[in-house]
Amino acid sequence: MIGNILLTLALLAGVFSIYMYYLTYKGYQNTIKLARYSFHLTAIAVLTASALLLHAILTHQYQYKYIYNYSSSDLPLGLLMATFYAGQEGSFMLWVLFSAIIGLILLDYTSKRGDLEPRVMMIFTLALAFLLVMVNPLLKSPFNYIWSQPDFIDLKNINQSYLSLPALQSFIFSDPQSNKQFIQMSKDLYGVLTANNISVNNFIIEGKGLNPLLQNFWMQIHPPVLFVGFAMSVVPFAFALSALIKNEYKDWVKQALPWMLMGTMVLGLAIMLGGYWAYGVLGWGGYWGWDPVENSSLVPWLVGVASIHTILVQKKTQEKGSGRFIKTNLILSIMTFVLVLYSTFLTRSGILGDASVHSFVDPGMTVYLFLVIFLGLFIVLGLGMIIYRWKYLTENFTFEENVLSRELALFTGSVALLASAIIVLVGTSAPIFGQTVELKFYNELNLPIAIIIALVNGLSLLLKWKHTDSKLLLDDLKFSGIASIVLTLLIVFLGSVYDIMLVILTLSAAFALFVNGEIAFRIFKGKRSYLGAYIAHIGIAVFLIGVVATGGYSQESQVDLVKGEKVSTLGYDLTFTGYSPIDNGKKYAFNIEVSKNGSVRTAAPVMYIAEFNNSLMREPDILVGLTKDFYVAPVSYSEGTEGEQDHNHGIPMTKGQTIDHEGLKIVFDSFEMPKDAMSSMTEGKEFRISAILKLIDGSKETIVKPSVVISSGTQKYEPVFVKEKNLKFELTNINAGSGQIELLISDIDGKKESGSKTAAKEVLTVDASIKPFISLVWIGVLFMVIGYIISAVRRSRESVE
Amino acid sequence: MKNKYMFGGGIIVVFLGIMIYLFTQTSVQYEGSFDRIMQSGKTFKATGSWIKERNYEIDKQSKTFSFYMADENGNTMKVMYHGTMPNNFESSTSVVVTGKYHDGVFHATDILTKCPSKYQEQPMQKANS
Repeated sequence: MIGNILLTLALLAGVFSIYMYYLTYKGYQNTIKLARYSFHLTAIAVLTASALLLHAILTHQYQYKYIYNYSSSDLPLGLLMATFYAGQEGSFMLWVLFSAIIGLILLDYTSKRGDLEPRVMMIFTLALAFLLVMVNPLLKSPFNYIWSQPDFIDLKNINQSYLSLPALQSFIFSDPQSNKQFIQMSKDLYGVLTANNISVNNFIIEGKGLNPLLQNFWMQIHPPVLFVGFAMSVVPFAFALSALIKNEYKDWVKQALPWMLMGTMVLGLAIMLGGYWAYGVLGWGGYWGWDPVENSSLVPWLVGVASIHTILVQKKTQEKGSGRFIKTNLILSIMTFVLVLYSTFLTRSGILGDASVHSFVDPGMTVYLFLVIFLGLFIVLGLGMIIYRWKYLTENFTFEENVLSRELALFTGSVALLASAIIVLVGTSAPIFGQTVELKFYNELNLPIAIIIALVNGLSLLLKWKHTDSKLLLDDLKFSGIASIVLTLLIVFLGSVYDIMLVILTLSAAFALFVNGEIAFRIFKGKRSYLGAYIAHIGIAVFLIGVVATGGYSQESQVDLVKGEKVSTLGYDLTFTGYSPIDNGKKYAFNIEVSKNGSVRTAAPVMYIAEFNNSLMREPDILVGLTKDFYVAPVSYSEGTEGEQDHNHGIPMTKGQTIDHEGLKIVFDSFEMPKDAMSSMTEGKEFRISAILKLIDGSKETIVKPSVVISSGTQKYEPVFVKEKNLKFELTNINAGSGQIELLISDIDGKKESGSKTAAKEVLTVDASIKPFISLVWIGVLFMVIGYIISAVRRSRESVE
Repeated sequence: MKNKYMFGGGIIVVFLGIMIYLFTQTSVQYEGSFDRIMQSGKTFKATGSWIKERNYEIDKQSKTFSFYMADENGNTMKVMYHGTMPNNFESSTSVVVTGKYHDGVFHATDILTKCPSKYQEQPMQKANS
């Protein structure tokens, strides 16, 4: 109850603060203090409410609907705290919390820089007020009691000692489908409980718990970072609007720049933390899947990065003469926040229900409408102000740039980023119109854009401001040009990269790498605070090379691992050695011995049945290497109980694969078939296909050819006997098209059979893959983050000058 | 010549052009009516629910997972997914499969399952009357 009162108080104080800031802007003298006091009141109320929510979570107060729905008592402390933002209510609350903290910093920052404060804080607080409306008791407050709306609660979560109460019986229901019993929590039941002196907190003793997909380390990091990024995105918006309000466009860029750098850094980091989460824990196989939720935070990031570059041009050019790209900067700064709101709308309104792996619950019509109003109002406010000032802006700030100038190169780069943003936006918004696009859409369009961005990235730094002498440019190009061609040739031949688009992308990324590396090297001894941009640019170049490697040259194969038997795939030898319980027997680790060139490591992917949603959960394991990751994602496990597998099924083998049979190596080399096999097949003539198997026993090599005779649709398998080894090789299935056979190996006297019947007792199926140079992706991101931070520090020093 | 518009405008125009082309090529429509999917033969995202009574089949040899799906009007079709069964398939309330219908089977290249997140959505019956 106190929580809801605090949130309401925060909203009222916020609205009052907006009004007081407005009056201050209008020229009143005494109102600034009131505005500041009330903003602080808002912040304190939000902080207290958040502390209350956290406290309620830590003490398991399941009388709160939100805590009952997302938390439980068996969670470790870190994850328990993470249930703060596991659902919609709490994640909006987290956004509100970070906005309030950032607002305090922003208030301090703006109060020291001219007459900024009233205008910037007015807009910022308006956005915060809207977020506060979102968490108010009528919409999505995390403090609403569980009985505020009727809800069914699993009987196992109820204190059993109260169940015999006669008054409760009419509230107990059973679901014939799941055979579970529920109690209907409602105002009526609350009345009954109060009449019996039972507190709800004693009545409901356990929560539904946290979705097992979210129960891992990254859940504690990724969402908070993302919401800091979201909360910071409103700052450039507020600065741009304050410039439009005052009709003065010079100072805001240098004042907003450090905020943009930090905000973009945080948002970018959050996106890639999510990517790492998906790759390392969720087992989606990669760090990026063009999922709508990933995309919708990528779009504002791309626009934010574009705006940083055009703002740099304005800042630089207005030092001597008139600033450039004034209109562009206003529009981009406004759009960054609008797109964050749009992203929120897409992911929170339930509109993507069918399209996303992040299954978001439909929040109900009121919330949907409110999100539409929130988004609409900020679009109208931002773009409306631009239109209002448009005549003045075009009359005063229309310029032309020289072809060989850094201004134009930066502009071109920003446009390329915007083109990418538009593409991702269109693809992501398609579900609104009952369509979706294939991943090809994103990949094919973004590849050439990445090339342009990398090229412009390098080139823009060789170009001088205003105008560049083409002879000087050619001179400057020599080192980086030659170095990047050499590196690209090396990559092409060592890595057999022959896809022309990927070669061009490698070349342009290498170019960016060398141009920036050279400059960074030169200024390293001088002004180190100027290194930021170059380090970030090196980061994006390294990142792109990593993307070429993993995107273009990952290898995958699905293999069945019979316990104790060595299976070769992708150049590794895998042996499944058995499973062991971990986490107090809640989960199972499947141990696989992975050997290559004599070195043996163990991969232990995890599978378990989650009680939460009664589903099989799988967690991959990665053998991280410098040049490549070996990624093992579990698929299924079968104990091979009798009768489940067909007696006649042998060991599946693919062309080139080697298996081990009691010390004997068996290589499936190739097929042998008549040239006219195809026509024989269609004509129904009899013909024979053999599998050529090399048997390697120490240094001795023999070749056997078990075969199948096919005539008019019937197949007759002909086994081969190797007397000296007492072995019989028989094919049980053949697929020449995909290069696969199934081989049944048995003793000639028929005692032992090494097909599925005896040995396939325990079979673990895994998706194994090699991700070459994925480490470059992470290293690149790390460089970008460091570069952004250095730049932000430098620009915040400059912003007071 | 206006350089800014040449470069910036050029990039935008070229990429928007390619984008619109690719959009028409790669976009897939959601479709809730299996009749239309069976007749058209185009790629669709079919939305419906798994018919639990008819169970599912996993073929380890061809690495396929097949089951029967029903749409809102009760039309059914067999779906064959070339991959492994998704984690939460058995508890799913609705299924979205992407693919084409040919030779009597919907061949899916992608499968997405939706799970009930609230108990309210399940039908309830009173235990004690």
